[in-house]
Amino acid sequence: MSLLRKGQQWGTFACVWHIFDATWQDPFRSAHLIKKYLMGLYKPIYHPLNQCGDHVIVINSKEIALRGDQWQKRVYFHHTGYHGGATWTLAWELHSKDPTMIMKKAIYSAMDGTLQRRFTMQRLHIFPDDNVPKEILENVSNQIKQLRPVPNRLHEIPQEERDKIPRLIQYPSDYQLK
Amino acid sequence: MAALYRVLNYLGKNVVLTAQNRNISLSAVTRIKEIIQKKEGNTLTFEAVIKPDPYEGRFLKPKNGACAICSSGLDIKHTDVLILSQFVTSEGNILPRRITGLCETQQKRISSLILMAQYAGLMLRRSPKGGLLHPLQKRKWKKFNSYYDEKTIKARYK
Ligand SMILES: [Zn+2]
Repeated sequence: MSLLRKGQQWGTFACVWHIFDATWQDPFRSAHLIKKYLMGLYKPIYHPLNQCGDHVIVINSKEIALRGDQWQKRVYFHHTGYHGGATWTLAWELHSKDPTMIMKKAIYSAMDGTLQRRFTMQRLHIFPDDNVPKEILENVSNQIKQLRPVPNRLHEIPQEERDKIPRLIQYPSDYQLK
Repeated sequence: MAALYRVLNYLGKNVVLTAQNRNISLSAVTRIKEIIQKKEGNTLTFEAVIKPDPYEGRFLKPKNGACAICSSGLDIKHTDVLILSQFVTSEGNILPRRITGLCETQQKRISSLILMAQYAGLMLRRSPKGGLLHPLQKRKWKKFNSYYDEKTIKARYK
């Protein structure tokens, strides 16, 4: 077997570890991206009963961003099974209690509802911040690109950078600007 | 009693207004026309000085008689805070169309984008008590990051 074919063989059958930084990312849109790597959908040997999925590490899940007013409007339902055991938890309440839960539920519900996803979820590692154990981090060989760039806050941008931006408007000369 | 209270309230407000110090501001202040207040003995003189525009060299001239944003051809997002901050005063208020010189659609669009940036905590927002709100001192759902979709802005050219 040639070296190229050997490389292809390893690339196909290797279990790759990916890392994804969730800072300012929408969990429901990035779930569809992470799902592809977690289930191994991008591999030519993919089959639902074939164990070809990769490991994915999600860091900074505390810093996720929801669109619009979804922190107040999105509701998570849970029923204990007892009479009157139904609870409705708002997204911001759930995120204050467990900063990894929204990301986990988003990826779980992005996959098809078979029993296989319970085992697929075991290959997902979510961390609320960037404190990842060393023995997990040393496996990582790929970084998943973020869906949207992390925005800058205006008061954190240095003055030199602000001075380079061209001006779009010119104030009238007799205007007293505050 | 009510009249006395009204007089006291009026006096209190006026005293506060004169004692207000506007020399300190968080962001860069540009005064095209500056009003200087001088007091010599019993006479109080006001003087208006027209100052040169410090941004003259970086001004992007609009072409073909279109407004500044239409002629620049930019697709402005709510995260482009360096552009949006040109349409806001140092107190966080949106400048009116009379000052910005934009067309009606772009003025509405820019106003929505500024509100989005302020609610997302990317730009400082005006506090109802006066001054600016700090973006990190937030409670409940406001302490988490949120972003906005520009497609939800109704004002746009088709
Ligand atoms: Zn225009």
